[in-house]
Amino acid sequence: MGAYMSEKKYTKDHEWVSIENEIATIGISNHAQESLGDIVFIELPSVGNSVKAKDEICVVESVKAASDIYAPIDGEIIEINNNLENDAAIINQDAENEGWIFKMKISDSNQYSELMSEDEYKQFLEQ
Amino acid sequence: MPINYKTGIINEHKNVRNHSGIFDVSHMGQILIENNELYLHKLEKYIPLQLKNLIKNRSHYSFLLNKDGGVIDDLIISNIDIKDKPYLYIVYNASRKKEDEEIFISCAPNAEKIYNKNCLFAIQGPDSINVLKNIIDIPNNMNFFDILISKYDNNEIILSRSGYTGEDGFELSIPNESAENLITDLLKNENTMLCGLGSRDSLRLEAGLSLYGHELNENITPIEAGLSWALDKERLEDKNLNGNKILSDQLKNKLSNKKIGLISTNKSMLRDGMTLFDNNNNEIGKITSGCFSPNLNKSIAIGYIKSEFNTDNPIFCEIRKKLELVKINNLPFVKKNYKKNGSVYE
Repeated sequence: MGAYMSEKKYTKDHEWVSIENEIATIGISNHAQESLGDIVFIELPSVGNSVKAKDEICVVESVKAASDIYAPIDGEIIEINNNLENDAAIINQDAENEGWIFKMKISDSNQYSELMSEDEYKQFLEQ
Repeated sequence: MPINYKTGIINEHKNVRNHSGIFDVSHMGQILIENNELYLHKLEKYIPLQLKNLIKNRSHYSFLLNKDGGVIDDLIISNIDIKDKPYLYIVYNASRKKEDEEIFISCAPNAEKIYNKNCLFAIQGPDSINVLKNIIDIPNNMNFFDILISKYDNNEIILSRSGYTGEDGFELSIPNESAENLITDLLKNENTMLCGLGSRDSLRLEAGLSLYGHELNENITPIEAGLSWALDKERLEDKNLNGNKILSDQLKNKLSNKKIGLISTNKSMLRDGMTLFDNNNNEIGKITSGCFSPNLNKSIAIGYIKSEFNTDNPIFCEIRKKLELVKINNLPFVKKNYKKNGSVYE
C-alpha cells in the first residue's frame, strides 16, 4: 500500500476516521459536535494502549452531557491531540480537522473498509 | 423552550451576566386566586406565610407543603389587584402543575389558570432595565420582588422585577396575542438574545438557587433544603399548617443533612446523582445539580452531605468510577445583583 490520504469514513457512534500510511486519525463528527453543544473538557486516551473496536477509550464532556468516544477499529494509540487538553472547544470550532482527538496504528484495514462513507453517514443521520 | 439557541449555552449564559437575555418560560404554571379570607385560610394549610399580611404589589418566594413538611412545589406568590379586584398571583413549576392545581382548586374552586392565555417571559441581566424601559413603563422606584400592572400594545401585563439567574431582571405575563410583538421589540436591541433551558440552569446554579426535582422534593423540607429564611416562623406554631410540628422541631434541632456548594478542582464535570465520599471511602452525600460554570470556568454543583461530616476534611466525588477531589464553596457561587433600593435608572 502506498502513501496516500484515504477518504474520510464514519462510525455509527459519530466518530470520523481517516487513514494515512496505516495510521488512523480519529475525531468526532461535526454532527456530534453540534448535538453535544459547548465542549468544556476531554479526557484523552493514554498513548501506548492497545484497544479493540467499540472499546470506550475517552470521554468528551459538554455543557449538556458526558459522552463516550469509542475506538472505531482495533489498534494501538500512538498520539493524542494535546491542544485539546487546554481548549476542548477546538472540537466545536473544527471537529473534523483541528479537533482530531487521537491517532492509532491500525491492525486490520478491513475494519476500516466496513465503516460508512461520507454519503452513507449523511443518509444514516437522516434516518 | 429549547436547551439552547444558535450561539450555545455558554454564550447565552455570558450574555445574561454581561448584558441581558430573554427566556420564554411560558411552560410554567400561572394562576389567579381571589384574595378573600376563606381562600387564604385554606391555602395557609399548604403555604407557610401569613397570606393576609402579604404586602400589596410585592412577591414572595414560598412553597406548598405536604403533611410531613415536605415540598410539594416551590413558587412565587404575589398580592396584586387586577382590574380593581384583589388577587393572589402564583407562578409555579411546569412539572408540578397537576399536584399544585389540585390544591389550588380545592382551596379556591374559581381559581383561574392563565397560562393558556398568557405567555411568561423573563428578561434577565444588568441591561434588562435599559432594554425594557424603552418598550414598557417602569416606575423609577421599582425594586426586586416588586410587582405591578403595566401596559403593552394596549394590553394589561403583569410585570415583576424578579428572575432565576441572580441578576437584575423582570418577568412579564403577557396575553398571547401580544407575545410575538413584545419579543420582536425586545430583540431590536442588539445586545440581547433568546436564551434556553441550558443557560437558565447554569445561571441559577451559579446563583445558588434551588430547582424542584433536584434540591427540592416531597421528602425534603424547606429547612433541610437550607431555605428556612423563606418560612414565616409564626406559622410554624400554627396547627393549620401542614407539617408545622416537624418543621418547628427541625428548626430547634440539628439536621441530619446539609446543603453545600461544590467546585471541581480539575476539569472534571460534576453532575446530578454523583456520590460523594470522605477520605476513608465512606459515602457522605450526593450531588443534586451540577454544571459547567462559565463564570468560574470550572464545574460547580449543589448537593447534600451528612451534617456530622467536618467540611475541613477532603471530599471526593465519584466520576466514572474514579474519585476526584472537590472543594466546598459557599453558595452562591456568583454574587447576586438584585436591585433592592434607590433609583433604577442610571
